[in-house]
Formats: sequence, C-alpha cells, structure tokens
Amino acid sequence: MISLQHFLFIAAVLFCLGIYAVITRKNAIQVLIGIELMINASILNLVAFAKYDVINNNGQLFALFVIVLAAASVAVGLVIILNFFKRVKTIDPNKANSLRG
Amino acid sequence: MDSIINISNQMVLILAFLLICAPLISFFFSLIFKRFASLIAITAISISFIAAIILFIKVWFSKTLHFSIPWIAFNNFDIRLGFLFNDLTVLMLLLITLIALLVHIYSVEYIRKDKLKPRYFAYLSLFCFSMLSLVLADNLFLIYIFWELVGFSSYLLIGFWFTKEKAVSANKKAFIMNRLGDLGFLAGIMIMLSHFHTLDIDALFGSGNLIASSFTSNGMWVSPFNMMPDYWLTIAGLCFFAGAAAKSAQFPLHTWLPDAMEGPTAVSSLIHAATMVAAGVFLLVRIAPLFNESVLIIIASIGVFTAFMAATIALTQNDIKRVLAFSTISQLGFMMLAIGVGDEASAIFHLVTHAFFKCLLFLGAGIIIHELHHLKEKHQLQFDEQDMTFMGGLFKSMPITAIVFIIAAMALSGLPFTSGYLSKDAILISVFEWADVKGGVFWIFPIIVSLTSWLTTFYIFRVVFKVFFGDFRLPQLLEADHHQFKIHEANVWLKYPVMVLAVFCVTFVFSFQPFSLEASWLFNELAPQQHVGGIYHILVPIYINILSLGLLLITYLAYARNKFSFGLEQTWIFKFSYKQWYFNEIYDAAIVKPTLLKAKAYYWFDKNVIDGLVNSSATAIIHISSLANWFDVYIIDGLVNGVASVVERLNIWFRNVQNGKVQHYIVWMLLIMITFFIYLMIF
Repeated sequence: MISLQHFLFIAAVLFCLGIYAVITRKNAIQVLIGIELMINASILNLVAFAKYDVINNNGQLFALFVIVLAAASVAVGLVIILNFFKRVKTIDPNKANSLRG
Repeated sequence: MDSIINISNQMVLILAFLLICAPLISFFFSLIFKRFASLIAITAISISFIAAIILFIKVWFSKTLHFSIPWIAFNNFDIRLGFLFNDLTVLMLLLITLIALLVHIYSVEYIRKDKLKPRYFAYLSLFCFSMLSLVLADNLFLIYIFWELVGFSSYLLIGFWFTKEKAVSANKKAFIMNRLGDLGFLAGIMIMLSHFHTLDIDALFGSGNLIASSFTSNGMWVSPFNMMPDYWLTIAGLCFFAGAAAKSAQFPLHTWLPDAMEGPTAVSSLIHAATMVAAGVFLLVRIAPLFNESVLIIIASIGVFTAFMAATIALTQNDIKRVLAFSTISQLGFMMLAIGVGDEASAIFHLVTHAFFKCLLFLGAGIIIHELHHLKEKHQLQFDEQDMTFMGGLFKSMPITAIVFIIAAMALSGLPFTSGYLSKDAILISVFEWADVKGGVFWIFPIIVSLTSWLTTFYIFRVVFKVFFGDFRLPQLLEADHHQFKIHEANVWLKYPVMVLAVFCVTFVFSFQPFSLEASWLFNELAPQQHVGGIYHILVPIYINILSLGLLLITYLAYARNKFSFGLEQTWIFKFSYKQWYFNEIYDAAIVKPTLLKAKAYYWFDKNVIDGLVNSSATAIIHISSLANWFDVYIIDGLVNGVASVVERLNIWFRNVQNGKVQHYIVWMLLIMITFFIYLMIF
C-alpha cells in the first residue's frame, strides 16, 4: 500500500535534487531542468494532499494551473537563455555576472 | 684762530692735500696695477716729498697756519677736520717723506723676488698716508684716528710674511700692546673734551691757549668751562703718556718692538726706527703744556729706565736686528727723558737725527742680511742670516756698506762731527742742568743716562766689529771652503739710499759749527731761549766722549782683534740681559697665561655647561616629540586606520555577496530561509 509519506518523501527528494541541480549545474538548460524538477515536486505534493479534498478536487486543479505556469515559465526561461547565448556565446550562468556589486 | 686764506695760503692747503692724497691713491692703485706697484708708490712718495719741501720753506721761520672746517657738531662742542702747520709739523713732514722715499727705493731691490710685492708697496703707501695725516691733523680726535691707522698699517707690515708663525704672533703682539696704550690715549681725549669742550690743538696748546688759562687752586683744576679735582690733571697727562709709551715702545709696553723685527728689514727701518715709533714722542711734544710736575717726573723716570734697560739688553743680543731694535727703544727712552726734563726741542732734535742714523743702521743691516740670504739660497745652506756669530770681516767685501754703517754707529754713540753728537749731548746737558736745579736724589738721572750713553757706544761698536772686522766666520762654522762664499757689495738700489742717509748723519747738515749746539739752525728755531751758557756745556760732552772713545778701543780689542773676551757668558748678569730682563717670560706668566687659562675655562664652561644645557634641552624635546610621534602613529592613526580597515573588511565581505552570479544568490536565499526556519523551530 502506497501511503502519503511515500509521496511526500519522493517529492522532497525531487525538490532537493532540483535545488542541487539549480545550484551546481554549469549549464543554464540543466538549471532549467532543475527548476522543472522542483515544480514537479510541488505538483506531486499538491496531488498527494488532494486526497483530503475529494469533493472539490482543488489539489488537482492547482496542479493543472502549476503545469500551465511551468510550461509558460520554461518558455520564458528558454528565451532568456537563447538571448543570453546570443550575447555572450555561452550558457554558463556563472558568466552572467555583470550585475556584480 | 681762523686764518684768512689768501692765495699763498690756498697753495699751502692744496699742497697739503696733495701730500697726503698721493700715498692714499697709490695704496689703491698699486693693488690694481700690480705690475707698476713699485713705480706708483715711488712716484707718490716723491710727490709728497716735493710738496713737503715747498711747505717747509713756506712755513718754517713763519707763524702757525691753521685751516679747519666743521665736521661733526654736538650740543656744546664740535669736531672739526683740519690742518695745523707749525715748525714741528713741517719738520716731521720733511723727515717722514725723505726717509720714506729712500726706503721705497731701497725696497725695490730688497723685495724684488717676493710674490706679494704689490701688496708690500700698497701697505707702505697706506702707512705713509696715515703717518703724514697724523702729523698734519689739527685736533686730538683726528690724531687718534690716524694713530689707529698707523698702528693698523704697522700690523699689516710686521705680519707681511704671514706664513711665518713668528711674524704672525709678532704682529698680534704689537697690535694688542698698542691697543693697551690707545686705551689711555682715548681716556685722555675724553678728559680733555669734558674739561675744555674742544679738541683743537691750537686752541688747547697754542699761544694764549686754554691750558695756560686753566689753573689749579685749592685742590681743584679750573678751566673756563669746568672744574674738577686736580688729580685729574695728572691722570690726563698719564693717559696721554700711556698712548705714547705704547707707540714709542717704552717700559712696560716695550716688548712688541723687538718682536716686530720679524717684518721685512726695510719696514723695520721705516716704521720701527724712524717714523712710527717717533709718533709717541711727536704726540707728547704737541701736548707738552698739559703735563704737570709729577707727570713730567714719571715720564723722565720711565724714559731713563727704558733707555738703561734696553741698552743693557742690546749688549748681549746676537741677532743684528734685535740689537738695533733695543737700541731704538733705548734712544726713544732718551727722547722721553728729554720731554720729562722739559726740553722738548732736544727731544725733537734727537728724533730727527736718530731717524736718519737708525734708518741707516737698519738699511745697512738689511743689506748684509739680504746678501747673506742670497748666499744661503745659492749654496743651499742652513744658518740664520741675522745671527752675528756667522758674520765678520765683511769690510773687505762690502766697503761702502761698512763705511756708512760705521758713520751711523758713530752718530748713535754721539761721537764728534756727527749729528748724534749735537742731539744726544743736548739731552745730556738738559738732564744735568735739570738735576742741578732739583738737586738731591735727582742726580741719579744724569748718572744713569751717562752710563747708558757709554753702553750705547759699547753695544753698537760690538756690532760693527763683530760684523765688519776680524775673519769671516761663516765658512769656519760650516766647515766649508773659504773661497766658495763670496759676499758682494749691494747694488745701486740698495747703495744710493744708504749713502744719502749717511750724508744726513754728519754734523754739517744741521750746524756749521760742529761743536756748538746753539749754531744748529734746527735747534735754534725750536728753542731759541734754552741752553745759554753754563758749565755743563763744556764738561758734559768732553767727559762723555772721552770715556766713549776709551770704550771704543776696548770693544775693538775684544771683538775685532779677539785679544781678550769678557768671559761673562755663564754668569747670571749675561743671561739676565740676553733674556731681555725676562720681560717676555714675566708677561707670559703674569698676563698671557692667565688670560689663556681664563679663556680656556670660559670655553670649557661654554662648551660643557651652556652648550650642554642647550643640547640636553634639545635632546629632551626630541625624546618627548618622538614619544608624541609614536602615540600619534600607533594610537590616533591606529584608531582611525582600524575603523577604516574594519569598514574595508566588511565592505569586501559584503561586496562578495553581490557577485552577480545567480546560483550564489540562490544559495544565499536558501541559507537565509533555512536560518529563518531554524529560528522559527527553536523559538
């Protein structure tokens, strides 16, 4: 029997992996993938907790919203990466440091 | 007092200016046109000589001329610039310019090889200028100015060979000793000024003068302007005498003159025999009416003592110039004695004759020294060319020099047919008459003065016989070949001046009757009323001269023929005389040493105490300031810099937060969030 804890555990692992990817990757695409992982982890959480709201199904509803938002944000993110690549011929986020203090 | 200036008087004035300005101009020009220095100097002194002759003819036998213009005006008196012409002035002018001219000509040869020849002639010209101005000056203040200038130019000339240590110390000594006397002179001038409100010689001492109108009564000295206790009259006289004693090298200020012989011989003959040393006698004669009885007795005593002392010293000296130097001191003592016994005419007469024969003696000695010096340089020898032990038998090689020297020596001894006979006997007769009037203890003066007169004969003929007779001792003493050393006669530059001087040592220049003082034109003009008859006139010259001739014979046997010697060399009397009565040693021990010690003590005090205080306070301040510096650097600056560096550290740290890297920002966000969560969990 798959319990709620298993879902939460998987979501937490996914979130951590996502954060790790975002922090450590030298490739902006991979960073974006990391962000997707984290979003998916949160979606998983939303779906998992949806079992307490079987009447309105707000969990599933929110998950659908988030998927749409994630798709949009990925599109925006990819455009940013593309423009960045055009400008500095690399997609290493560490090189994008012209706002340095 | 103010003469009416007519044409001829104006001429006198112009001539006087010419007379003193020629040497002054020569002084400057000989330093500029160095090649013609001797020519310029001789021309200048010739012009002065010609002017002096004309002035002499104009003024001699006529009344006093006096020109003056105001110079410095004060409240109740003024100092004037002016000329005073009387018999004494023109006589001195003629004497000085004649002797100076001859010495200038002589110097051309004597100084020929010296590198500093232009300077020598410039100094001689400066000396002539100051001496002639001194004679012409009409008031005591002007005399004092030129008196100092004479002292200064004499200082320059004594130290002419300034590389010689002895010459330098000699000119210092002369200068300092003269300053001592000048102090007296200045004090005398101030006394006169406060008492009579004028320094004019004619007004003070001339006919109908202020001195005559002042008198002493009830212990007070009264002048038309002032009253003061009568001992001030004595003090004034003594002050002036102190000045004259220093210039004329009288005891106790006489020790500079023998040392001054370090200068060139021509200088010694001009300055330290004929002219400068006579300035003291000249001054005393000018102001003679001032002296009261006690001052006169002091002058006479010092004169006779100096004469005797210097004569005894001259007996044993071996340096030819030193003998002549002491002889000069002795003869100046005679002149002082003459002034002291109130016979100024004899003093001046002796001054004139002495100037000629002493100048001649010095120039003669100069020729010998010059020739021996040549010999010394030619053969590379080592000996003192002034030491008489190396001379002897020079009559054969330099007969003219020998003859003129002997004439001068005879004049100095006062033998008949020489000028010295007249002038010296004039003094002796005066002294005898003076003692006769005073009586008693004053008979010691004529006794000592006769003794001195015989000593004079002895020491000067000792020189003559040691130098010109016997054998030439230089080859024997150096153990060299006799024929190798040839001494030559002097050349024309040296020869003619001494021959001219020799003419002036003969009686006939001064008097046509060789044995009669009264027949002398010079003496007659100076003192028409003195010396009329008297037993001493006949007796004194006879007994003095007979004994002199006897002594001359003894000297001849002892020094020319070496028949016998006195055998006194080891006795204390000889040593006492040879060491010049130990005056130098006494002065050294009593005055020079303590002064130097005191100076050293003050130097030590300055160096260690004053400088020490200053230096230690400086060190203390340096230490305090370095402490303050340390405090500033490490505490104040440390605080400021510490704050700054803390801010800087923080700044660097915070700056690194904003490094522009997106992932870092995320990490930071994460950390802050975690912190926040931990904070929430704990509290």
